[in-house]
Amino acid sequence: MRRTTVFLTIISLLVISPSLVFGQSKGDLLIKNATVMTATAGTLQATDILVQNGKIVRIGKGLTAGAGVKTIDATGKFVTPGIIDAHSHTMLSAINEGSLAVTSMTRTRDMLLPQDVAIYRALAGGVTASLLLHGSANPIGGQSTTVKYKYGRPVEEFPVEGAPLGIKFALGENVKQSSRSPQPGQTFRYPRTRMGTMEVIRDAFIRAREYKQSWDDFRAKKTRTQPRKDEELEPLVEILEGKRRVHAHGYRSDEHLNLLRMAEEFGFKIGTLQHGLEAYKIAPEIAKHGAGVSIFADSWSYKLEAYDSIPYTGYILWKNGVNVSINSDSNERMRRLNIDAAKMMKYGGVPEQDALKMITINPAMQLGIEKRTGSIEVGKDGDLVIWSAHPFSVYATADVTIIEGEVYFDRAKDRSMRTDLAKERETLEKLDMNRAPGTGGAPPRVPTERLRGDLDDADRDGGNR
Amino acid sequence: MRSKLFLPLVAAICLSISASANAQSYAITNAKIVTVSGTTIEKGTVIVRNGLIFAVGANIRTPADATVLDAGGATVYPGFIDTVTNLGIVAPQAGPGGGPGGGGGGGQAAAAAAAAAAQPSSNSNYPAGLRPELMIEEVLRGGDAQFEASRNAGFTSALSTGRTGIFSGQSAVINLAGDSVSSLVIRSPFAQHISFVTLGGGGYPGSLLGTFSALRQIFNDARRLQENQRAYAADPKGMQRPGADKSLEALFPALNRQMPVVFSANSEIEIIRALDFMKEYNLNGIIAGGLEAGRVADRLKAQSVPVLLSLNFPKRLTASSPDADPEPLAVLRSRAEVPKGAAKLSAAGVKFAFQSGGATAMTDYFANAGKAIENGLSRDAAIRAMTLGAAEILGVDKTLGSIEAGKVANLVVIKGDLFGRDKFASHVFVDGRHFEQKEPVRPAGGRGPGGQGGGPGATPPTPAGPSMGGTYTITIDVPGQPIQATLNLAQAGTTMTGTMVSQLGSSQITNGRATANGFSFTTSVQFGGASIDISVTATVSGNQVSGTVDSPQGPVQFSGTKNP
Repeated sequence: MRRTTVFLTIISLLVISPSLVFGQSKGDLLIKNATVMTATAGTLQATDILVQNGKIVRIGKGLTAGAGVKTIDATGKFVTPGIIDAHSHTMLSAINEGSLAVTSMTRTRDMLLPQDVAIYRALAGGVTASLLLHGSANPIGGQSTTVKYKYGRPVEEFPVEGAPLGIKFALGENVKQSSRSPQPGQTFRYPRTRMGTMEVIRDAFIRAREYKQSWDDFRAKKTRTQPRKDEELEPLVEILEGKRRVHAHGYRSDEHLNLLRMAEEFGFKIGTLQHGLEAYKIAPEIAKHGAGVSIFADSWSYKLEAYDSIPYTGYILWKNGVNVSINSDSNERMRRLNIDAAKMMKYGGVPEQDALKMITINPAMQLGIEKRTGSIEVGKDGDLVIWSAHPFSVYATADVTIIEGEVYFDRAKDRSMRTDLAKERETLEKLDMNRAPGTGGAPPRVPTERLRGDLDDADRDGGNR
Repeated sequence: MRSKLFLPLVAAICLSISASANAQSYAITNAKIVTVSGTTIEKGTVIVRNGLIFAVGANIRTPADATVLDAGGATVYPGFIDTVTNLGIVAPQAGPGGGPGGGGGGGQAAAAAAAAAAQPSSNSNYPAGLRPELMIEEVLRGGDAQFEASRNAGFTSALSTGRTGIFSGQSAVINLAGDSVSSLVIRSPFAQHISFVTLGGGGYPGSLLGTFSALRQIFNDARRLQENQRAYAADPKGMQRPGADKSLEALFPALNRQMPVVFSANSEIEIIRALDFMKEYNLNGIIAGGLEAGRVADRLKAQSVPVLLSLNFPKRLTASSPDADPEPLAVLRSRAEVPKGAAKLSAAGVKFAFQSGGATAMTDYFANAGKAIENGLSRDAAIRAMTLGAAEILGVDKTLGSIEAGKVANLVVIKGDLFGRDKFASHVFVDGRHFEQKEPVRPAGGRGPGGQGGGPGATPPTPAGPSMGGTYTITIDVPGQPIQATLNLAQAGTTMTGTMVSQLGSSQITNGRATANGFSFTTSVQFGGASIDISVTATVSGNQVSGTVDSPQGPVQFSGTKNP
């Protein structure tokens, strides 16, 4: 009897233990003797960082940790806050609901795909958090999700708890051109022009106001008929009430300016202008409105709509006091945002710390998670990257990427994992279900598709919108 | 005691005069009886009378009027229940499109017209595919022949639901024999069935994102309509008339937990999304498919969600090629894990029952159940998942699923090991009706006397014409990018089932029909991130096959060969 009890306990421990290891428990970690680029309080030489229970508790010299706490010697290495990408479509099963002009009822949260290997690759580039946005096929797109890249964890642990709500808007060519190839027998989707795009947005907010009124009336018992719980209009009411941030895709300054004015007319503030390839033209107006801008570090003139973009957009916005972040909008470019930040030093001469801010604390502020992450400060989440060299060097690699004190990427471990994975593959490929059929069988994927996927353009805005 | 037995006997004899087929009585003797609900009887008799199991036991006297079937030591099981099928449903007419001289410029319009014709006309406020009022019972048809393949494999009952749409139709539990729909149906409706798919044709929802929000909105609207209707019924004064909406009203029983909602979900993330949705709307949910359900067994248990587990285990369908990308490790792992799923569910205490999962060959069902046993599932649990366990989830366990006196006489006599290669269902009873199957003569060399059917041209088109089943390798002439595909087709009567496999993925065919000189079917493929419905019409001549693939992008030709 006793033996069975012991046995059962062991079994239950085996069953439960993964949830102990991978569950809500936050990590403890000590990083020793690093060059610490805090992003908000300068660069500290030969400094230690102690993370307890997922939070940074001490930054200083000669720190010690309790027995059994993982300690990483970072002598000769650099530590930065985890990189935050304010425009991503990673780990989503679907990106665009293009059938309607307003798809605020859709939620990227429904589409999270935690097994997406792009997450691991992002971690290998030092990215720890992202804003997952709906595509740019419609004036008002779907609801966004702010995640930390906790690869290997259950899906419900990815969204950042308490992060402000967000939504995608889009202006310009992507919206117009998403209307152009209807199915047979189907009419063109409205809008097909920039003025139509603005009209759709205005109309949606007018409908949202009326919708809010109908609920106010019902709650005030002015009517007994319960209004519809409208998945489309609820998020728009949240925007009007300042509870949901608008992240508005656009290239040209005229339409971004129009949107800022419309927001002011309806009494709310735009969260970020996304891309803003001409944002330098309206930098003071953006600063006055209080919107952030999330840009590509380059991609100047890569399509007609981007014709007026210049390398100095980031610098000019920064100079005007606008909160600027640099985003990837691409699973491929996401891995090299540190180099994209370095470009801000080259074009215009943004100071080093301000360039670093553009991939850390600035996007954190745009996402509304700056109290938790985005800089190396006591009390913040232990979201850290240990770099092999100065992160703005092309020779630098992210060696260890840490979220809340737990290691999610370790380059040394990755190397040994490759051997294990190759062995696992070999074993798996020998199994019946994984063997190619003896005769017949469909031809496997053609390499042209693989090549196409490697091209930058196909994976950037427009291809991955 | 004796008189108690005698009276029903007399009653039975009297009834039998009115000569309905199932009034006949049978005695299956000399059989091993796996009752499932009780202990297995090593050698005994089952008496079938009036469509019911009259008696079962080791020492049962054979009634004088009973037809005696000596099982010769074979095993009697409760008839197997396939818990997700499309059995008994009239296939919508596949639109061949084009008309005489087809394939011209009118192809696109024809495809759209065919797609529209495939959707039943309705005055619902919702588009086809988003109509929860659709009742499978209304599109069932009677007749024994259509169930032959399943019955011959030992299945006597099935859950039947539609093939397409986000709401694929309120399902019905049916018996697999009966001339009329009323004689087939055991329970209808059983459940709402939801699949996370998009609606074709460019409308909303056109992506999986939209599918979820459309589902939320329709459930919100149904909840609101019900509340407004209640308030209005209580006191209509000063209240706008809530009106009627048959689509929304069809969801009331689901919202009130009176009707289960079955979500088709195979991958881990699909299952998690379904579980989240069930929680959000407090639904009495069931997972259908569940190939990766083993990975979320704990959550299924915590939410008390049963699984209708597919035995259509995935296997690699593409040929090997040195130029190709290796298959992703995640795919290799998932395929290897699938056979372990049933044991994991069983260990976690999750209720589950097996289903064929759209498999074309029912031999796969038993072979894969055997694999589940090799991977840790107990034999008894496997048998239960085909019988009483299935009946419990479908809510028909009072009448089906075990061999007990008084239950419906759905029985199967199996020669050989149920999970072995030589397994053979010699006798099947459905509602007490006896179907006998002659043991196939194992071919010594040739294909036996059926051979002359294959001769070129000579035989006139009859239902038993040349078989269109088989494997075809075809090249679809998409301009600038020819696509190779393999069709794995099986024919039963004039119905074709199977898969189409290409670089665009593998998909089950639907609306498959065999004609005298070819076949047609519809299916959907993933292309450029969207699901595209295509319609295939083929002419077969000897080992040559050619025809048209029609899609919203217009028709293209294909040709190829039938593999020997």
